[in-house]
Amino acid sequence: MKKKILSLLLAAAMVASLTACGGSADNANSDQTANVPAQEESAPTNSDAAGEPVTLKVFSNLPDRTSGQGLVEQTLFDAYMDENPNVTIEVEALDDEAYKTKFKAYASGSQMPDLVNVWGQPGFLDEVMEAGLLAELNPDDYADYNFLPGSLDGFSKDGRLYGLSRNTDVMCFYYNQKIFEDNGWEVPQTYEELLDLGEKVRAAGLQPVSMFGGDKWSLYIYIHDIEEQLDGSGIMAKTSNAIKNHDFSDPTFKQATELFVEAVDRGLFQNGFESNDGGTAKNLFTNGQAAMYYTGSWEMSMVTDQDIPDEIRENIRVFLMPVPEGGKGDATTITAWHGGGYAVTESAANKEEAIKLLNYMFRPEGWTKIAWENGVCMSAQNFGDFATGSETEVQKQLMQLVADATDLSGTPLGDLGSSEFKTICEDKSQELAAGKISADDYLRALEAVGQ
Amino acid sequence: MHKTYSNKGVIATLVLPGILTFIFAILAPICLSVYYGFTDYSGLGAYQFVGIDNYRELFKDQGFWLSVRNSLFLAIGFICIQHPLAIVTAVILDRLAGKAEGFFRCVYFLPNVISVAVIAYLWKFIYDPNFGLLNNIIKKFGGEGTTNWLGTGTAIWSVLIVLVWHGFGWGMLIYYTGIKNIDPVLYEAAAIDGADNKQTFLRITLPLMKPVIQINVTLAIISALKQMETVYLLTNGGPGNETQFLANFLYKQAFQSFRYGYGNAISVIFVLICICATGLLNMIFRKEKEA
Repeated sequence: MKKKILSLLLAAAMVASLTACGGSADNANSDQTANVPAQEESAPTNSDAAGEPVTLKVFSNLPDRTSGQGLVEQTLFDAYMDENPNVTIEVEALDDEAYKTKFKAYASGSQMPDLVNVWGQPGFLDEVMEAGLLAELNPDDYADYNFLPGSLDGFSKDGRLYGLSRNTDVMCFYYNQKIFEDNGWEVPQTYEELLDLGEKVRAAGLQPVSMFGGDKWSLYIYIHDIEEQLDGSGIMAKTSNAIKNHDFSDPTFKQATELFVEAVDRGLFQNGFESNDGGTAKNLFTNGQAAMYYTGSWEMSMVTDQDIPDEIRENIRVFLMPVPEGGKGDATTITAWHGGGYAVTESAANKEEAIKLLNYMFRPEGWTKIAWENGVCMSAQNFGDFATGSETEVQKQLMQLVADATDLSGTPLGDLGSSEFKTICEDKSQELAAGKISADDYLRALEAVGQ
Repeated sequence: MHKTYSNKGVIATLVLPGILTFIFAILAPICLSVYYGFTDYSGLGAYQFVGIDNYRELFKDQGFWLSVRNSLFLAIGFICIQHPLAIVTAVILDRLAGKAEGFFRCVYFLPNVISVAVIAYLWKFIYDPNFGLLNNIIKKFGGEGTTNWLGTGTAIWSVLIVLVWHGFGWGMLIYYTGIKNIDPVLYEAAAIDGADNKQTFLRITLPLMKPVIQINVTLAIISALKQMETVYLLTNGGPGNETQFLANFLYKQAFQSFRYGYGNAISVIFVLICICATGLLNMIFRKEKEA
């Protein structure tokens, strides 16, 4: 009898301890899977097909190799290997945050892969370029590659080029047009209207804006986005000076930070947004639980992602951060930058071959064409050359926004300083979002970095 | 044979691999950490000696003290929650015998064989404020069910629960092995003397388990101080530094902020804390033994 009682007790305890296993399945975060396969045009490369076997090691921040940008990258690698049978490309891919951490571990050990993803922003790249870890590229090689003006600036130091930019990133709100129409909601024209809309959406039982605050950097980009709309131009230079001079007393910084706090206080973002990661935030939107999703143009492939229900993906549209009262911005001032890209490492075992691969990827009919035709992202090259008129609505909207832009914000707040500044900016942005510190505390903390 | 072992050359040859491993894998990295702890090395390029500046900054760093506090909090959590539960479960398992004993022993150990990454993501979904299991259960029972379990105020407790749950199996298994090593004759004698379950547990099981408890508690404290992977994947120390732990804080400074010198200063303090904790525990247990 005693044993039976003990067994029952242990069984009850076991159920409690294994609740975790049982309950998670329904809520599992489904990854994106295969998208429309990219079409690749063959182009000659200079590699000697019958040459010595070469293995190129690539470290990528695109772990999903079956859809989106990961698929475009893999398609280019496969095509290169087909044309150069002596070349084998080994890819190690991690999500952004894990990637950045491991990249720095690689850089510290000076044992880097041949081709790496980099972000052309001071917070990420300056120390790496200064340490001489990246191979210098010949700008003349890219004269006909149609890179957009300024897109390679972040990858250059002292007039020397160390990497190529992959994308033109535009921050925007993706929204579900059908949900908006069904509820009679309008796209907000001012920041105040955005906050009012958030309250209406919440009252209707939905999460207003899905945001991935757990990854932290989206939070300071949101603040930077408001700053761009407040000033209308020159926010990158102003922020760079503020970091350099340890002085964030300019009213724009305080006003933007307070407007972000107001959005948090009025429930604009989903519950727990400050700890939700990218996958969770995206799922809320693509499952129809959130009416809007604040992220960048790199997510435009949601529209063609077969894993997302048709009634949602076909109704995805975008709008930009609305201008706050008194702001000098308008629909043509956009928070955009040329962030991610590639570089060849100086210590690469096969440096020449890695540069050949890089050049192959970025010939105009390479990355730009494939990414645009598959609705994946806007490259840092003249992607408009490949416009056919059969693009998705989101592509058309974003292309128009970039074409009409009179001011691009440039590199966002946290990426304009050192790595230490970025880390502190991320942590403090999250504390601000969680209501642990005030707007003043936030700005004082940014001023204190490196003093 | 005796002569062979008396030969100093043979002794040196046998001991050398161990000594070399210790020197190159443990001693040299610690010495290098001490060295770099006095520099402003970023992990890349040149560096300068900055004296004890890193240590001065460290003692003023709020993030560091939060990490120390959280590590101690976790150690106390292990000692006060995980281990008493593990001992009681081990005793009950021992009494069960038969197939049930083997079955439950495996079940309780199961979380330990699951990858830390899986554990972290599993609990992320349980804790999610919008669709998480926990909030859904609360809603079923009529509650509001909107708590952000990984948010301000609750995150540290949520992390503690995951870590206690995850490490429970190891602790339980060691206690279980300890109980199995107790001579059954002692229990039989106690039964003849009319001792009940409580008396048997308090007078026989617990006193004879003291060496096992000592080892387990020491391991728990060191494990709390070294805590890194689960926290990194679950909250990465957030919100802000609310769930920051020493090892994660060190990693963040060295590899995210590119402050390798500062990270090494933290590692030196980290080693000192570990040595102090182990010394303190040995002292406590030695005094108990003498008493």
